[in-house]
Amino acid sequence: MIEYAWLIPLIPVAASLIILFGAKEDPHSPLPWIGIGAIAVCLALSAAILWGFVSGGVALPYEKNWDWFSLATTIGGQSFVWTVPVGVLIDPPAAVLLFVVSLVSLMVQVYSISYMHDDTRFKRFFAFVSFFTAAMLGLVVSSNILVGFMCWELMGLTSYLLIGFWFERPGPCEAQKKAFMTTKLGDSGLYLALLLLYAKTGTFQLTQLHQHFALGLVAPAAATVAAFGILLGAMGKSAQAPLMVWLPDAMEGPTPGSALIHAATMVAAGILVVSKLYFVFLAAPLAMETAAWLGLITAFMAAAMALVSHDIKRVLAFSTVSQLGFMMCALGCGGFTAGLFHLTTHAFFKALLFLGAGSVIHAVHTNDMRQMGGLSRRMLLTFATMTVAVLAISGIWPFAGFYSKDMILVAAWNHEKAIFWPLLFTALMTAFYMTRLLTLTFLGDDRDHERFHHAHESPALITVPLLVLAFFSLTAGMAIAHDGLAARLFPKPALTAAAPAVAAAPATTATPPAVGAAPAANTSEVQTPEAEQELPDWLKFGIPAFFVPGAMLLAFFMYRGPKFEAAESIRNTFAPITTLLDRRWYLDDAFLALVAFCDQVAALAFWIDANIVDRVFVDGWGLLMRILAEISNFFDGAFVDATVDGVGGLSNDLGVGLRSLVADGQVQEYMMYAAIAFSLAATLILTR
Amino acid sequence: MQNLSLLSPALALSGLAVLALLADMLVPPSRARNLYHFGWASAAGTLAWLVAGLADPASRGAGSLWVVDAYAQFFGMTILLALVLCLLMGLDYKALPERHAGTFTALMLLASSGLMILVSATDLLLIFVALELVSLSSFVLVGFERGNPKSNEGAMKYFLFGAFSSAIMVYGISLYYGAAGTTHLIRGAAAPGPMLMLGLILILLGFGFKASLAPMHFWVPDAYEGAPTPVTTFLSVAPKIATFALLVRVFVSVLPAAQFDLQALVVLMALTTMTIGNFTAFFQNDAKRLLAYSSIAQAGYLLIGLAAGTGRGVEAVMMYSFVYLAMNVGAFAVVQAVGQEAGSYDLSSFDGLAQRSLGLALAMTFCLLSLAGIPPLAGFMGKLYIFSSAVETGHWWLAAAGLVNSVASAYFYFRIAHRMFFRAPREGAAPVVAGPYIYGAVAVAVVGVLLFGVHPEPLIAGVRASAGLP
Repeated sequence: MIEYAWLIPLIPVAASLIILFGAKEDPHSPLPWIGIGAIAVCLALSAAILWGFVSGGVALPYEKNWDWFSLATTIGGQSFVWTVPVGVLIDPPAAVLLFVVSLVSLMVQVYSISYMHDDTRFKRFFAFVSFFTAAMLGLVVSSNILVGFMCWELMGLTSYLLIGFWFERPGPCEAQKKAFMTTKLGDSGLYLALLLLYAKTGTFQLTQLHQHFALGLVAPAAATVAAFGILLGAMGKSAQAPLMVWLPDAMEGPTPGSALIHAATMVAAGILVVSKLYFVFLAAPLAMETAAWLGLITAFMAAAMALVSHDIKRVLAFSTVSQLGFMMCALGCGGFTAGLFHLTTHAFFKALLFLGAGSVIHAVHTNDMRQMGGLSRRMLLTFATMTVAVLAISGIWPFAGFYSKDMILVAAWNHEKAIFWPLLFTALMTAFYMTRLLTLTFLGDDRDHERFHHAHESPALITVPLLVLAFFSLTAGMAIAHDGLAARLFPKPALTAAAPAVAAAPATTATPPAVGAAPAANTSEVQTPEAEQELPDWLKFGIPAFFVPGAMLLAFFMYRGPKFEAAESIRNTFAPITTLLDRRWYLDDAFLALVAFCDQVAALAFWIDANIVDRVFVDGWGLLMRILAEISNFFDGAFVDATVDGVGGLSNDLGVGLRSLVADGQVQEYMMYAAIAFSLAATLILTR
Repeated sequence: MQNLSLLSPALALSGLAVLALLADMLVPPSRARNLYHFGWASAAGTLAWLVAGLADPASRGAGSLWVVDAYAQFFGMTILLALVLCLLMGLDYKALPERHAGTFTALMLLASSGLMILVSATDLLLIFVALELVSLSSFVLVGFERGNPKSNEGAMKYFLFGAFSSAIMVYGISLYYGAAGTTHLIRGAAAPGPMLMLGLILILLGFGFKASLAPMHFWVPDAYEGAPTPVTTFLSVAPKIATFALLVRVFVSVLPAAQFDLQALVVLMALTTMTIGNFTAFFQNDAKRLLAYSSIAQAGYLLIGLAAGTGRGVEAVMMYSFVYLAMNVGAFAVVQAVGQEAGSYDLSSFDGLAQRSLGLALAMTFCLLSLAGIPPLAGFMGKLYIFSSAVETGHWWLAAAGLVNSVASAYFYFRIAHRMFFRAPREGAAPVVAGPYIYGAVAVAVVGVLLFGVHPEPLIAGVRASAGLP
């Protein structure tokens, strides 16, 4: 099966083109089923690869490359022409992510058949989703980080289209611009980092890059700069502070699209790229430390914003940012396995949460949780699946989130206690605001009777995906944590492992390494046993048994009633803080100020161009020319003409005089010839 | 006058230009359109001749004031390709007077002939003469729509500025002569000194006028806006590319910029050119002006390759020039089609283009995305080459500034794309029906943009084979 892995990103691309150009827009168009079929094929392929690896039938990593184009480079004063190949590299994390991405995308598409059926651009939505998925799958399988970057950019482009899907409204228009420009700003960091890596190593191949780092051929300074560039890219795509401003606004898109962006594709890409280039971070401890703190700060800031938001999708968006912070923090703490594990489980329950929220919004036609309440009595299936997701994200045993979050906390504990405690607090905040969401939406009394009355359970096309995702939210953690599978699926790369293809390392030989011939660095096979400490017992059992349930119960009791006075009074007591959170830490304002500043610069440039340059320079040049012309004209009139007239007069006189001397003849003519000869001679002499 | 025959494609082109002028007097106005066909056919013929001669080593060599090497041939082909595409666009440009078809064709051919000589020139005198040939032809071409006041204004500004920069350049050449004792670039063993430095700077400024580099870019928006669109396209592509060829020949190969401490100046010019181009484009509401500023910014990117000054830098300039040709011609061709239909080049004429003419809208989007450097289009590959050459030589901040600039540029390129796809068309706006020649030019450009993005190897191989400078 794995030989066909290169088809995985191409199938959805083909599907999206067929959907886009296949037929006219029609609400009953059968074309979306092509996209669903395509992604189902991808899912089958990925499942086969993953199962093959887990059961031991398939050896990973698997790499296959094809020549693409060549690029000249100079290393150590010598020039080479390198072939840049395009290819697939499937390592165990990639196999897992292929499965996750295609599964979530499949569920989202099935769900959207029902959710989007009234939309005037029904078909186009599926084309975008297919393309979006394809870009993500391309990033996952690519063996060449440059190709990965291209997919990354395409994902940015498609997110622009998805977020601004309802472009008739002003909100989505602004949001799509914001998302695109913010992530693009981060992208430039990643791009620079890749160029630097290329300048230092002469390759974009992940395995070869890994070899270079394993052999210590890259200077620590360069590794640090590259790592920070990569981090900047991840900050943009994975919405880390302070570039997280775009993600809450990205809610303006259709809910299934948000589910895709938030669960498995766009935001996961940042974490994924950091994990793919993790060896760069291993060589740059400073960047690792920064990633850890950045993740922590993001997790906390976003969780705090989620505490006060009333918009159900917005709470979920903040929670995504916060969970991404957890992953980034785990990666920064050296918990590679934990970070990717959480990425996997998070994909399931976050997709479920968004699709569930979509189901609710579909039923009550509002995003405001204050107008919901008691919906469990009307939408039992949605409620049940959402509950699973909330328990999973809060970290209740035995749901998926428990295992992955626990692993993250252990990684933080082992790395730095100063990170562990705030992170634990943030985890409790997560449990709190997710329970708050569940309580406000589904429990308690119906606050808006009108909406409550009209609410009803969604059709099967919506609930079946919810059930499937709930199944995975329940079991994925257990399955992966079982029997050390997590360490096998997400083996932490190491820099110390012996690299087999030393002779092919470009800095030592003049021949470029045969592309694809060098086996995968295999460094990731060896799991270096680290002195992993367990949490102390009181934390190990206390967190899932007391702390988290405590936070959840607190939220339940605070928000259970119809008016939740306790919560409101706390809100009013700490008004400055809640305002700060409502205004999203003023980050948006800061960025708006930055944009306004750029606008000013641009306006200034325009003004200079239009007024100073055009008026003064061009027109002034014309004026100068005119003045010069006037002067020259005056000179001409006053001196030259007078001289010419004088000469004319003189010759006239002379002529008359001469004529009197010579009776007839053409003396003027002779004189003229002489004058010409003289002028010529004079010119010749003077200019010699 | 040794080896004059090396320049025969360029000379043949001027001969054909004279022929077109003569024919203008003889051909009746009703048949004048044939002269446009004559124009592109002779350009295509010359191109075919040049391509056919590539295999022949006798087609390369050095003359007294010129050298024809693979590098010059590469740029010669690029210029001729641009000429063919622009003359094709001219066939569908309705505002051109039929009566003067011969003059128009002749001027375009003459300008290209001058450009072809320019990329081969190794003597400042020949460079100056060739540049003047190009300039004088283009002054007239910009003002070719005599009934259009904007065209006249553009031509006037272009002319005044051209005269100014010629003067500067001649002064620079005279200083060079004073320092080196000759105007020949290769034979002159010039000793670095203040006089030579001043001369080189002035010469660089003179070149900057043609390549629209800051601070010599001021004429660009007005001239581009006023000129007939095919001429705008031609001016935005051919002279710019040829001047870059010359800049690289002079400042990388003959008189290495690093040796003369000119690199800081080049870096500074690259920075200002990019930034001014991109940031001023934010507020443009006229498609031609917007693309004018965009082309200034693109020249800034090209200058990064020159600042790098290495082999890869040279390759980057060549590769990006070629890619730039495709994407800019494509964008301008669509602008011409849309502008003609709407009667104005205001950005609002692009509203809802996707619903009116999906093909043109897609083509425009591809070209704009490529200009912004979005993968997997050719512009991405070109920028990759440019930026990696800068990083390779340690020009970190230049690469970073280039990247930030391309982020900013995405903003205004997307303004057009947004209008085409996300705005409803104006009341009664008809589908844009462009002529067959426009579609031809657009198709060639878009195929180039897509092909060299996905499969750049043929272009890279061609560039590498031609990059060797004397």
